[in-house]
Amino acid sequence: MLYDFLIVGLSIGILYGLVALGISLIYSGLDIVHFAHGEIFMFGAFFGLVLYDEAGFNYPITLFVAMILAGIMGVIIERVFYRRLTSQGGGYTVAGMGMIICGFGMAIILQNIAFLIWGANGRPMHVNFGMPVELGTITLPQSYVWILVVSVALMAVLHLFLKHTKLGLAIRAVAANKDIAYLMGVNVPLMISLIFGVACALAAAGGVLIAPINYVQVEMGYLMLIKAFAAAVVGGFGSLPGAILGGLMVGVFETLGAAYISGSHKDIYAFLLLIFVLMVRPTGLLGVAAKVKA
Amino acid sequence: MLALKGVEAGYGKLKILRGIDMTVPDGAIIALLGGNGTGKSTLLKAISGLLPVWSGEILFDGEPIHNKRPHEIVRAGLVQVTQGKDSYPGMTVEENLMLGAFSRSDRAGVRADLEKVYGFFPILKERRKQLSGLLSGGQVQMLVVGRGLMAKPKMIMLDEPSAALAPKVVLDIFKQINRISRDLGMTILVVEQNVRMALLLASYGYVIHDGKIHLEGDAKDMIDDDAVRLAYLGGTVAEVESPALHR
Ligand SMILES: Nc1ncnc2c1ncn2[C@@H]1O[C@H](COP(=O)(O)OP(=O)(O)OP(=O)(O)O)[C@@H](O)[C@H]1O
Ligand SMILES: [Mg+2]
Repeated sequence: MLYDFLIVGLSIGILYGLVALGISLIYSGLDIVHFAHGEIFMFGAFFGLVLYDEAGFNYPITLFVAMILAGIMGVIIERVFYRRLTSQGGGYTVAGMGMIICGFGMAIILQNIAFLIWGANGRPMHVNFGMPVELGTITLPQSYVWILVVSVALMAVLHLFLKHTKLGLAIRAVAANKDIAYLMGVNVPLMISLIFGVACALAAAGGVLIAPINYVQVEMGYLMLIKAFAAAVVGGFGSLPGAILGGLMVGVFETLGAAYISGSHKDIYAFLLLIFVLMVRPTGLLGVAAKVKA
Repeated sequence: MLALKGVEAGYGKLKILRGIDMTVPDGAIIALLGGNGTGKSTLLKAISGLLPVWSGEILFDGEPIHNKRPHEIVRAGLVQVTQGKDSYPGMTVEENLMLGAFSRSDRAGVRADLEKVYGFFPILKERRKQLSGLLSGGQVQMLVVGRGLMAKPKMIMLDEPSAALAPKVVLDIFKQINRISRDLGMTILVVEQNVRMALLLASYGYVIHDGKIHLEGDAKDMIDDDAVRLAYLGGTVAEVESPALHR
């Protein structure tokens, strides 16, 4: 039983990690905390629903196209709405405060748009993955296999991209110091769009991956945001490996808590973990106090 | 190579540069001198596009660049090495250098230039796999100069390469700057508070004061005639004999 719970916890956790990864990526690249990221996740899930259930694409293509769509959506949102504020300086400045409010506003707008298009009722995504996989004593539904495999693959690709490509190097440079990156000939505004697009695509992947096991509904972004947020803080805000580690910990912790302590308080465990970690290590597990980013 | 005419710029509403005229001929080393807070770095930022130019014009290779964005100016062949030795401490030495070559796509040329930079600064080759945050101040200065060269610029602007370094290290770095100018035919604009060192290196000097060019002339004459006045303007005069630099 424990192993089943562990693997479910890891699957859910890696999704938190995926969304948290986007939040951390945006934070390190743009110096803002993106409060509408849960809604991007929600839109990703709806894109998946439309593409799979209505347009009839197969699951991998659905996943891919939903990520692209959410990426484009993110780039547009960043260009049209956020750019004016972030170009005044993000982070802790007055413009940064405006950015936080702007993010909340965007979350509400996106929820309402989703409500207008898809209505208030939750819908499942009817994916037939076939028989569960037997791993020794564990029986694992294939949807969880997809979650684990796709998430790990996306994280690996992101890692290779950031560490071993020229563009990835430029993104890390932009995250660490924009003026110097500019002076290296990097088109900084373009890289910022790219960062935002990639972060939104990751959130959308999370949405499409969770859609077969959870109802897709307009409010799903909110809970995901706070869990992913908890994950990012537990791991150390702005740290990419930290976001993944934090996500896994939150997922496992809440699944075990729900299984062995009380199922009706499932959503509390993430925050108990958060408070505990912050008491022991205020910078988060892999966080650094000074802002030596990316 | 570079010509400024009546350049004005500043921060917000605060005007710092109040009409700068300056020329940097092909292949020359030109010194830009001046005390603390007189606008030297501001001028470099305006040239490299980090700050908008309010009025006046900047021509690079005959083309106006005062409306261009920083990465476009780098592509045009003009690179700035900032004050304060900003490397990327979380990246390795070699990653820093490769970042300098971001605007290029000629892989073979980049490889060759990497070896050239290692030739100028062998210590960087020794430490190429280490995080640049672990380098000493002098080594970081070498790294940021080398990183600038990796863009294969026609002209490079150096902002106070001697700042906060021991005299022996300064001499070492200035020797390499001299070699870079000679071997690569590089045009160089060097901003300095170390007046004497800069004038030994350069052929012509400008002194900026209060956002205006206060004084200009041949470096030789400036050393002889104006050392005291230059020092008075806020510069420091290092005790280094001239033959040491050109050896
Ligand atoms: N980001 C900024 N915002 C507002 N004012 C600034 C900013 N940066 C510099 N200044 C002001 O502009 C003036 C010129 O600064 P600048 O950095 O160009 O001086 P500098 O000649 O490079 O001096 P130093 O030798 O100390 O580097 C100074 O009075 C400084 O206070
Ligand atoms: Mg300066």
